[in-house]
Amino acid sequence: MLLVATLFIFSLFAAQLLRIQGFDAQSVSAQALKSRLHTSSVPAQRGSIVDANGTVLAASLDRVNIVGDATATVVYKKRVDGQVRTVGLAGAATDIANAVGVQPQPILTALQQAEKKGSQFTYLAKNVTPAQWKAVQDLQIPGISSEASSERDYPQGTSLAPLLGWIDASGQPGGGVEQLEQKALNGKPGKHVYEQAPDGTTIASGDNKDTPAVDGKNVQLTIDNDLQWYSQNALAEAVKKAGALSGEIVVMDPKQNLKAVASYPSFDNNNIASAGSSDLQSRPFTDAYEPGSTGKIITMSALLQEGKATPASPVVVPPTLTRAGTTFHDAEVHGTENLTLAGVLAQSSNIGTMLAGSKLPSSTIYEYMQKFGLGQTSGIGFPGESDGVLTPFQKWSDTQKYTVLFGQGVAATGIQEASIFATIANGGVKEPTKLVSGIGTGNDFTKPADDRSSQRVVSSSVATQITKMMEGVVSGDGTAKAALVPGYSIAGKTGTANRYDPKLGRYDGYTASFIGFAPASNPRYIVAVTLQRPTKGSIYGGDVAAPVFSQVMSYALKNGGVPPSGKQATPYPLTFQPEKSRKP
Amino acid sequence: MAGVTQLTGRRPLAAADHRQLPLARTDWGLVVAAFALSVIGALLVWSATRHADGSAYLIRHLFNLGVGMALAAVVMRIDFRAIRAFAPWVYVASLVGLLLVLSPLGSTINGSRSWIQVPGFSIQPAEFAKVALCVGLAMILAERGERDAPPPARDVAVAAVVLGIPVLLVLAQPDLGSATVLVFMGIGVIAVSGASRWWLFGFATGLAGAVTAALTTPILSAYQRNRLTAFADPSVDPTGIGYQVQQVKIAVGSGGWTGEGLFHGRQTQGGFIPFQQTDFIFSVAGEELGFVGAAGIVLLLGFLVIRALLIARRTRDSFGRLVAVGVAVWFLFQILQNVGMNLGLLPVTGLPLPFVSYGGSSMFACWLGIGLLGNVHLSSLRRLT
Repeated sequence: MLLVATLFIFSLFAAQLLRIQGFDAQSVSAQALKSRLHTSSVPAQRGSIVDANGTVLAASLDRVNIVGDATATVVYKKRVDGQVRTVGLAGAATDIANAVGVQPQPILTALQQAEKKGSQFTYLAKNVTPAQWKAVQDLQIPGISSEASSERDYPQGTSLAPLLGWIDASGQPGGGVEQLEQKALNGKPGKHVYEQAPDGTTIASGDNKDTPAVDGKNVQLTIDNDLQWYSQNALAEAVKKAGALSGEIVVMDPKQNLKAVASYPSFDNNNIASAGSSDLQSRPFTDAYEPGSTGKIITMSALLQEGKATPASPVVVPPTLTRAGTTFHDAEVHGTENLTLAGVLAQSSNIGTMLAGSKLPSSTIYEYMQKFGLGQTSGIGFPGESDGVLTPFQKWSDTQKYTVLFGQGVAATGIQEASIFATIANGGVKEPTKLVSGIGTGNDFTKPADDRSSQRVVSSSVATQITKMMEGVVSGDGTAKAALVPGYSIAGKTGTANRYDPKLGRYDGYTASFIGFAPASNPRYIVAVTLQRPTKGSIYGGDVAAPVFSQVMSYALKNGGVPPSGKQATPYPLTFQPEKSRKP
Repeated sequence: MAGVTQLTGRRPLAAADHRQLPLARTDWGLVVAAFALSVIGALLVWSATRHADGSAYLIRHLFNLGVGMALAAVVMRIDFRAIRAFAPWVYVASLVGLLLVLSPLGSTINGSRSWIQVPGFSIQPAEFAKVALCVGLAMILAERGERDAPPPARDVAVAAVVLGIPVLLVLAQPDLGSATVLVFMGIGVIAVSGASRWWLFGFATGLAGAVTAALTTPILSAYQRNRLTAFADPSVDPTGIGYQVQQVKIAVGSGGWTGEGLFHGRQTQGGFIPFQQTDFIFSVAGEELGFVGAAGIVLLLGFLVIRALLIARRTRDSFGRLVAVGVAVWFLFQILQNVGMNLGLLPVTGLPLPFVSYGGSSMFACWLGIGLLGNVHLSSLRRLT
């Protein structure tokens, strides 16, 4: 009977085995796999940003987030005075804190709260170095694991912060090149799929699958870090000295490769929490303002190109001029003056510019403004870039038809303004403005695709004439002797414009600027300096901005190894003899 | 008793008989099956513990196996009558062990006061009580049986008392699994001894009453009741036994037909199942060796029990027969409970799987059982020659 019972029992076992393993096996094992399977994201290394010489401007450092499973850490045992004791959460917090070099209390609090909730995942320390994590790992505390992370480091700090932007706590780009080149820099996160044991360790024999992360690409900028740094410092000093609201400097070459884009006040993108919200933007891209007299370059170029005048054309400038019911003045009170067109530019006469410019219909002026790039962005795609304010000429008011001739009633960004001068410096051909010169891995960069093309705006002879006229600006009779760089010929133009304050909704203070290039005969650099609402001392571009131009330009020329200019060109006469002009 | 021994022994040839039965006459099938199970057990124990403890458990399991086999060899070769003479002392020693467990000397592991800690290892007297009862019950009930008469009621009553004392002591630990094994072993031996059917009926009624009382009255705490019913409904104790039952079911089910491979079971290697190397060693086989491996182990275990029953059937000597039946029923019920709980058919009671599970006391006791079976086998052969 016992034999029969035995056989019966063992057959029962065989049947149950067959049921569990033969018939239910698939659903059971699938359900089991699901409960064991965990997926974690493997972050991709974000690409670096380097300057034209390969200097690192932004880089991602490998970091580790320390994660705790408090329910497993409770049983932490270690040898104390030769005896193994359970030191639990408090012991773990102390040991981790010592290994990382932080206070233990926040770690202990996090663990205790997690334990109370029965949570198996709590961040204990974020962004520690791999070496610090190694020290924690060596403690072999149960339930303590790691998660790959990274931290963005900006070695140049405030000097480049508005241009580069930042990375926020969630890893998303905020403004600047970080946002502009997000697609290239970001990379593709990988996936780590693994089976996890109850104690949090990975089951070696489990289904562990890894999709490796694809690291982001490196981005090379046209920026020269040394020049940028110098410009930023010079700007900061000038803004403080002039008691100005803010300031900006743009340095580019005639092919419109941006060499420096300074914006002050700035912020530290290594510590984004400390940044003031109004300082985050790169002003040369995002702030449009009425340029004032630097805008006269467009009027002069149009007059020469359209054959309506030559640099020597006489302009009789009365003390005041009434047009469209408004009486216009020049900056300095004067009697009737006999100026050449070159003289009008050198002395920055609004009345002279109005009289000369009125030979051109508004449509032509508007056409040239567009050709020089007003009313449209650079095409770089810089986040928050402004296209300025250029209303169609049909909508110009009667006074505006005159004010646009000397750069009021239109608004442009620093990039647009510098671009106008670069076009003249480049023999009349406007090149697309460039900030990113290459994208690639390691130091192997390829030029990014660019569908923009260069455009001829004025003939090269007109460009040469305008250059020569601008050389008069920094001459003894011009408005900006302070812009001189000893040994080099400078072509440039001052600007002192009424500043429209969008917050106040009215004009308030001035925009003082100086934009020019050097050497005039063979231009290498265009430097545009703009200060908003200077309050200490002078408000004139020739006094406030021109000295900064001189500093930055001389540094740029020396830094670029540009040899001093040879013999200065004979300048155009700035005045004319009235009797001569009466001759046929 | 003297007459009995005169009938069977005390012949000048007895010692010579002993020598005439060489090793070759040993029941090798039995030994090989037990050895195979022990070696498979070693691999499974290793697999279940290597992720946390390396080869420590493997080495100890093999050491236990060596000691167990040595004990079996000694018991097999010992004079049959000596065992009979030792029986009362072995029984008393096991009672002392069970009492010591309940004294301050005993130590509690997982809620049961079942161990005596000795430096270096721990002893589980309940395991040895099984061996002691096998011999003790056979001794009491075989006295009259020698004359092919059923044991008188007085002897059965004595046997019931002899059985009852260790059962109560084991229940006090509490170790329900071992107590059940002891009870069924006793009933099996009494049944085979030819005792009146009324005794069996009485035992059956008592058991039914005990089970009913356990499940319906507050004798057991809610926690204990849940432990007993969790096998059928893991949700009554989802973090304790219910979790275990669920994880074991996943492990065995994951094995499929051929298993995930030794050392490659994810449930096992991940350490999902507490006490897997002892109570749930069968689930390692289920997961890593699959249906083929698990069914193979069931087959070996079945072979072992049937072999033991065949030895009992072949033995003319009443004492030997009852000893063999005792060992067979012990193995059968322990296997029944252990494999049953691993397959989700029976409550989780915490019993090792003979030979396969890790555990020194269990290994020694099981091999002592093999020794007893071998001894009975050799004795019956001697009788035939």
